[in-house]
Amino acid sequence: MRLHRSRGVPLLVAVSLLVLSGCGGDGPASEAAGSGEPVTGGTLVYAVNSAPETLDPHVSTQDAAGLYARPVLDSLVVMDEEGEFHPWLATSWDISEDGTVYRFTLREDVTFSDGTPLDAEAVRANLDRIVAPETMSAMAASFVEPYAATTVTGPHTFDIELSEPHAPLLAALSSAYFGIQSPRSLERGTEEIAREIIGSGPYVIEEFSPSTGITYQRNEDYAWQPATAGLEGAPYLERLEFRVMAEDSVRFGALTSRQVDAIGNLPPSGVRQAESVDGLWLTELQAPGGPYAYFPNTEEGVFTDRRVRQAFRDGIDFRALVEQLFFGAFAPAWGPLSPTTPGYDASLEEAWGHDPEGAAALLDEAGWHQRDGEGYRVRDGQRLTVVWPFVSSGAGELGDVLAVQVQAEAAELGFEVVFDTGTQGELVEKYNRGDYDLMDVSWARNDPDALRNLFATSSIPTPDHFAHNAARVSDPQVDEWLDQALATTDPRERAALYGEVQQRLTEEAAVFPVHVSTNVVAGHDHVRDVRWDPQGYPLFHEAWVAS
Amino acid sequence: MTTPTLPPVGDIPGTPTGGRPAARRAGGGWARAVLLRLGTSVLLLWSAVTVSFGLLHLTPGSVEDSLIGMESVSPEVRAEIVAAYGLDRSLIEQYGSYLGRLLRGDLGHSYQIHESVASAIGSRLGASLSLAVASMALALVVALSLAVLTARRARWLRSLSSGVELLGVSVPAFWVGILLLTVFSFELGWFPAFGGEGLTGLVLPAVAVAVSMTALLSQVLREGLELALDQPFVLTARSRGMSELGVRLRHALRHALLPVVTLAGWMFGALISSLVVIEQVFNRDGVGRLVLNAVAAKDMPIVTGVVLLTAAVYIGINVLLDVVYPLIDPRLRGTA
Repeated sequence: MRLHRSRGVPLLVAVSLLVLSGCGGDGPASEAAGSGEPVTGGTLVYAVNSAPETLDPHVSTQDAAGLYARPVLDSLVVMDEEGEFHPWLATSWDISEDGTVYRFTLREDVTFSDGTPLDAEAVRANLDRIVAPETMSAMAASFVEPYAATTVTGPHTFDIELSEPHAPLLAALSSAYFGIQSPRSLERGTEEIAREIIGSGPYVIEEFSPSTGITYQRNEDYAWQPATAGLEGAPYLERLEFRVMAEDSVRFGALTSRQVDAIGNLPPSGVRQAESVDGLWLTELQAPGGPYAYFPNTEEGVFTDRRVRQAFRDGIDFRALVEQLFFGAFAPAWGPLSPTTPGYDASLEEAWGHDPEGAAALLDEAGWHQRDGEGYRVRDGQRLTVVWPFVSSGAGELGDVLAVQVQAEAAELGFEVVFDTGTQGELVEKYNRGDYDLMDVSWARNDPDALRNLFATSSIPTPDHFAHNAARVSDPQVDEWLDQALATTDPRERAALYGEVQQRLTEEAAVFPVHVSTNVVAGHDHVRDVRWDPQGYPLFHEAWVAS
Repeated sequence: MTTPTLPPVGDIPGTPTGGRPAARRAGGGWARAVLLRLGTSVLLLWSAVTVSFGLLHLTPGSVEDSLIGMESVSPEVRAEIVAAYGLDRSLIEQYGSYLGRLLRGDLGHSYQIHESVASAIGSRLGASLSLAVASMALALVVALSLAVLTARRARWLRSLSSGVELLGVSVPAFWVGILLLTVFSFELGWFPAFGGEGLTGLVLPAVAVAVSMTALLSQVLREGLELALDQPFVLTARSRGMSELGVRLRHALRHALLPVVTLAGWMFGALISSLVVIEQVFNRDGVGRLVLNAVAAKDMPIVTGVVLLTAAVYIGINVLLDVVYPLIDPRLRGTA
C-alpha cells in the first residue's frame, strides 16, 4: 500500500533534460565515444530502489510495475510531451460525437513474443480482463470506470464502448498499466503472470525476482515502435537489467564505482555530490498529477474555516523549507497539480506566498486570538490543534524531517500539530473515517482528471471505500467543472475547466502544495539516448551504451 | 528437554563444567527421550504458529486494507479480495483452516507476491543458508583463533583484544555493511555490491554478519579458556613438557568449548534478524528480505512460514547440540 506515490516523471519531460546525447563533448567518456554513432549490443544496468510484487500491471498498484512492464508491453496509443496522442499499436481512432464510443484500427503486422498475432480479439481479452472483478485490479480498472464493453468489428478493428463520456480514456490506454499482453499468456494462472508477462514490446523477460530485479533480452523482431520513437525496429541493447538496491547510499556508491550504468531515485542529498563527479549526467523528472501536498480536512475540525486553512498555508514558509531540505532538487509546488500535468495552470505560481502577518490576522479574525501558557492559540477554551496521522515510511524523501520542521513553524503561528503515528492499516481506517485534520499525499497520474481523484465529492473516502479526496472537499461547482471536463475531448476546453478548478481550490486554500514529486535519475556519460515516459520512468527502447 | 532459549549472555556459564549440563540425565531410555523431543517440538511449532497468527491479527488495521493499500478499488473488487483470502470468516475459522492446511503440509499462498509460501521460501533459502553458514563458520574460526592466542597473554594484548571485541559487539550490522561496501566495493572494487551468487558475493555480507558474533564468541571463549588454564590439570600437562599451544588446544579448549557451542547454536537460530538487515544492504535475495517485506505488508502466510522455519531451525540446532555435547565433554556420556 502506498499513500505517497511518485510514479516519477514528467510529461514535458525529457527534451529539456536529455543532457547526454549531443553531450557537449567535454567529458572524456563522450570523446572516447567518438561521433556518438549508436553501438549495437552490450548490457545496460539500471539500479532502482524497488521491484513490484507482481509484474502484471493490470493488477498491480505499484509505481514499479509500470517501470518494469514498459519494456515488455506496448500500448494502443502513445502520449507525447504536449499531452497529445499518437499511433502505436492502434493506427487510428475516432471518437463518437457523444464521447462514448472509441473506434480503433490496429496495426496488422504485430506479433507477441510468444508467436501469437495481435488482433482485435486480443485487445478485447486484455480490456475485459482489466475490469473483471476476479482480476482484482487495484488501480488500472479504476481509471476506466465507465467501461462498458469492447466490440470486435473486424480482425483488426474494434469499438470501446463507455456508459458515459470519459475524456481520460486515451491517457489511461497510453500507460503501461494498460499494456497489451499476449491473450495466450493471459490464460495462465495469476502466479505465472506475476513472474513473467508476455507482450509485443522491444524487450522480452529473461529472469525476474521481486527482490533482486529483472533481466530483459532484446526482442529481435520488434518493428512497431510508437509514432514518437526516434528509433525504428529492435533496440540496440542486447540486454537490459534493473537491479534492486533499496539503500540509497548503496545505489549511489554502485553508480560512482561504475558497477551500474545509471540509477533512479537519487536522494536529494546526493545531487550536489553527483554533480561534482566527472562523467555523470543528472535528470530531474517531475511526476504528473498531484504534487506532494498536505490536505486539510475541510469537513470537520479546525480546518473547516477557510481562514484557518489559509493561515496555515501562508503562515508557513514551505518554499524556504523545501529549498533548504532538498538542496533545490525538488521544485516548490504552487497548486493542486504538478507543472508536468496537461492542463496545469501556471498563473497560480506566485499567486500566493509566505505571509506570517496576514496569517496571524486571519487567525485573530477567526476567533483564535488568545494564547495559552504554551503559546498555542485558543478559542472558547479549546486549543488550535491539528491532528496529523503520519506514516514516515510512506512520506517519501525526507518527508518526516519536513513534517517536523512544519510542526515547528506552525507552533510559532499558534498551531499545535500532533502527529498520530500507528501502523499504516490503522491510519487507513482513521483516514477513511475522516478522523484527522491534516494528511500528506501525493498522487501521480498522467491526466488532469487527477483533480477528480483528489477533490470530487465522489472521491471522499468512506469506511469501506478508500479514495483520494483527503481534503474531503465537497463543492458542487468543482464537481460540475470536473464532470464537464470528463465529457469534453477538446484539449483547450478541458484545460479551461481544469484551470477553473485549480483557481477555486487555491482560493479556498483546500490544499497546501509542498513540492513537486521528483525522480532524480543519474547515469554515466556512456549511457546514451534514454528517453522519458510521461508516466514517470526512463524508456530504454532507444538506449545504447558507448564502448 | 532442552528448549531453544538461551540465558542472557551475561549468564552464560563460563566454568569448564558449565554449559548445557546433563542433556541425558533423565533415564527412561532412548525411545522415551525421542518421543519427548518430538512432542515438545510439535508443541513449540504450534505455539510459534499461533503466536504469529495472533500478533498479525491483533495489530490494528484490517488485512484487506493492507492488501488493497491506498488504492481506490470498487466495492466488487474489494469483495473479491476478501472472499479470495477468506477474510470474511471469523478469526477462529481462519485459524482453524490455516492449521488444517499446515497439517497437510500446505503452507498456503502469499497475499502479496503471488507465489506459494513453500516456493517463496524454498527459492530463497539457499541464499540465506549459505550466508548464515559462511558467517557462522567465519565467526567460529576467527573467535577460536583470537581467544586461543590472547587468553592469559600480556595485559596489553588482552586489553586490545577485548577493546576490539567491545567495538564489534556494539556496532550495528547495517553500519558495518555500508562501511565494508564503501571501502571494498565502491573504493577498491574488490567485491561486487550486488549479485549474490558465488563466493565473491558472499564475502562482504558474511563478514558484516560475523563481526558481532565473532566479538561475542571470542569474549566468552577467552573467559572460559582463562578459567581452564587455572585448573590443576593444566599444570600437570605443562609439567609433562607439553607446548603452550598444545596445552591450550588439547586441554583447555575442550573445557571452554561447551558454553561457546551453546552460544553459537543460539546465535545461528537468531541469525535471521541479521539477515533481514544485511540482505537488504547487499541486495541478496534471501529469506530475511522476504520476511521484511512480508511484515510490512501484513503478508500473514509468508510471516508464519518464516516463523515456522526459524522454529524448525532452533529445534534442529538443539538436537544437534545434544549430540555434540557428549562428544565434547565425555562426562556427559552415559550418565543415565
